[in-house]
Amino acid sequence: MTTKAKSEERPAHATKFEPKIETELAGVRFQNPVLTASGTFGYGKEFAHLMDLNKLGGIVVKGISAEPMEGNPPPRIYETDSGMLNAIGLQNVGAKRFLKEKLPFLRTLRARCVVNVFGYSTEDYVRCLETLNAGEGIAAYELNISCPNTRCGGMVYGNDPKLTEEVVAAAKKAARFPLFVKLSPNVTDIALMARVAEAAGADGLTLVNTFVGMAIDIETRTPRLSNVTGGLSGPAIKPVALRMVYQAARAVKIPIIGIGGIQSTEDALEFLIAGARAVEIGTANFYDPGTSLRIVEGVRKYCQRKQLHLSDLIGSLRLPEGTASHPTEY
Amino acid sequence: MYDEIVAVTENRPLTGGHFLLSVRSPRQAPAIRPGQFAMIRILGRSDVLLRRPMSVYDIKAGQEGRQKRASNSPEIIQFLYKVVGRGTRLMSELKPGDRVGLLAPLGHGFFEEEYLPRAHEADEILHVAGGIGIAALLLPAKRLKEAGFHQRLFFGGRTKDDLVGVADFRPLIRAMLLATENGSMGYRGFVTRPLEDYLRKHTEKRFLLMVCGPWGMLEASVALARRFGHPCLVSMENRMGCGLGVCLGCCIRVEGTGHEAYQRVCTEGPVFWADKVIWQKEGIPKTK
Repeated sequence: MTTKAKSEERPAHATKFEPKIETELAGVRFQNPVLTASGTFGYGKEFAHLMDLNKLGGIVVKGISAEPMEGNPPPRIYETDSGMLNAIGLQNVGAKRFLKEKLPFLRTLRARCVVNVFGYSTEDYVRCLETLNAGEGIAAYELNISCPNTRCGGMVYGNDPKLTEEVVAAAKKAARFPLFVKLSPNVTDIALMARVAEAAGADGLTLVNTFVGMAIDIETRTPRLSNVTGGLSGPAIKPVALRMVYQAARAVKIPIIGIGGIQSTEDALEFLIAGARAVEIGTANFYDPGTSLRIVEGVRKYCQRKQLHLSDLIGSLRLPEGTASHPTEY
Repeated sequence: MYDEIVAVTENRPLTGGHFLLSVRSPRQAPAIRPGQFAMIRILGRSDVLLRRPMSVYDIKAGQEGRQKRASNSPEIIQFLYKVVGRGTRLMSELKPGDRVGLLAPLGHGFFEEEYLPRAHEADEILHVAGGIGIAALLLPAKRLKEAGFHQRLFFGGRTKDDLVGVADFRPLIRAMLLATENGSMGYRGFVTRPLEDYLRKHTEKRFLLMVCGPWGMLEASVALARRFGHPCLVSMENRMGCGLGVCLGCCIRVEGTGHEAYQRVCTEGPVFWADKVIWQKEGIPKTK
């Protein structure tokens, strides 16, 4: 394996190899493949005094709905081993206030702004997109059809191929900017859902959202979250998320953004090698805000060491001979 | 606000599973204002991810005896905490020289530009603490002492071992009233009983209350303040994901509608005017 790997790398005498780590997704260029995930990075400004936001590839803002949303009653979060459960319920300022109050700052950054869009019905999604279409400086949309914490909409769409097709097709028609669709991992066949979204017009896919989970306080015998269940995120979900990205990448032609428990350069590289053209950093922003920029540098150094451009790395997974062409078949 | 790795200088065990943790941060210590908090991260644990929110208990100058800079600008940040779960247990195992992640200063604390008009109208400031809630009140008490206000402390715990830090308050206040649920020190029962007696006895006086403690104790104290017509500031606690205002995990119900119905304890708080908070708990069903 090592010798094989070396033969593909550029010769070592090519000193000062400067790898190209920019990436392109559906015609949108990102200066590097590291984005911050929706719901973990606010509207960007919250982190402005902790890091140079201009060095990020992109910022995916908190899910925006057509109208402002209240969110769920507390308790909304609970820490579990190597992960956390959340049931925030998409509390947000709504599309109009986002354009007025949040977008002007995001527009000034070199990091590209991706707006995560949420709705309770297909009409809701369309209405939200129509409002956001007026925004200057939005690079792309990320359609959230996979939030596990709202009663209707959200995951209901992401779990049903017919509804996924309906909402993606309607959103694609309404969207002025490229449309990424964020898929739910709470499905039997992720490749099928990926293909459905692609066929319905998605320009790209983000996967995965959180896994539905639960925790119970045994003293009071009550759920730890007021919503009873919540979305599990963090390093605990990484191997499963990685497997799903691998499967989806083999099932569709559109670009994939990989997300799920990434907290190190090595984690990010695994997703890129599995076929993701970019990655999103989520829960790690909460406990270690420096993670994203460390990964940007880490990916650059790795590419330098391997004498590879990012584009050579993406999807470069070497499978044992005879691996099933349909990775969903175990 | 800074995010840095800092060294533990001391982690002193106190009674009842309480500890006083000291860390050195010449950058963060001078920036901390009363009522603010820090997010502490235990390093090197892949199972315990999230930082833990901790009230800043006190700020101290650098260690004496060392040939340090001439200035006596504060360098040491102290946290008074009780071991209640996995995160605080790991904190209790920290030794001098160990490193922790420290994100501070955070939150909207006891800011004098907001409470001074009310403090000047008051005859006395009443601090009301339940258990480890005491940790949020030392810095405001120090600031108020410097400004010449009369202060009184009502402090309750389950047992006398919970009444930590009393000596630090003594030079700052006129009098303190202690209460324990098992009667091992001071009044037997909840601290809100002696508070109620005091308020009833002095209806002619005006007070400003500053309260920190568990939810039930906050609720009872706020109800008393309202009944006797005194302004009241509360320092709230909640589980937090980030401390930065982005995860929205620590929100509490406040007066308002739409996306303003919930506010973040980490950003709009932890200190709120009591009448802003909706005290009726939702979500979790009542246990028997």
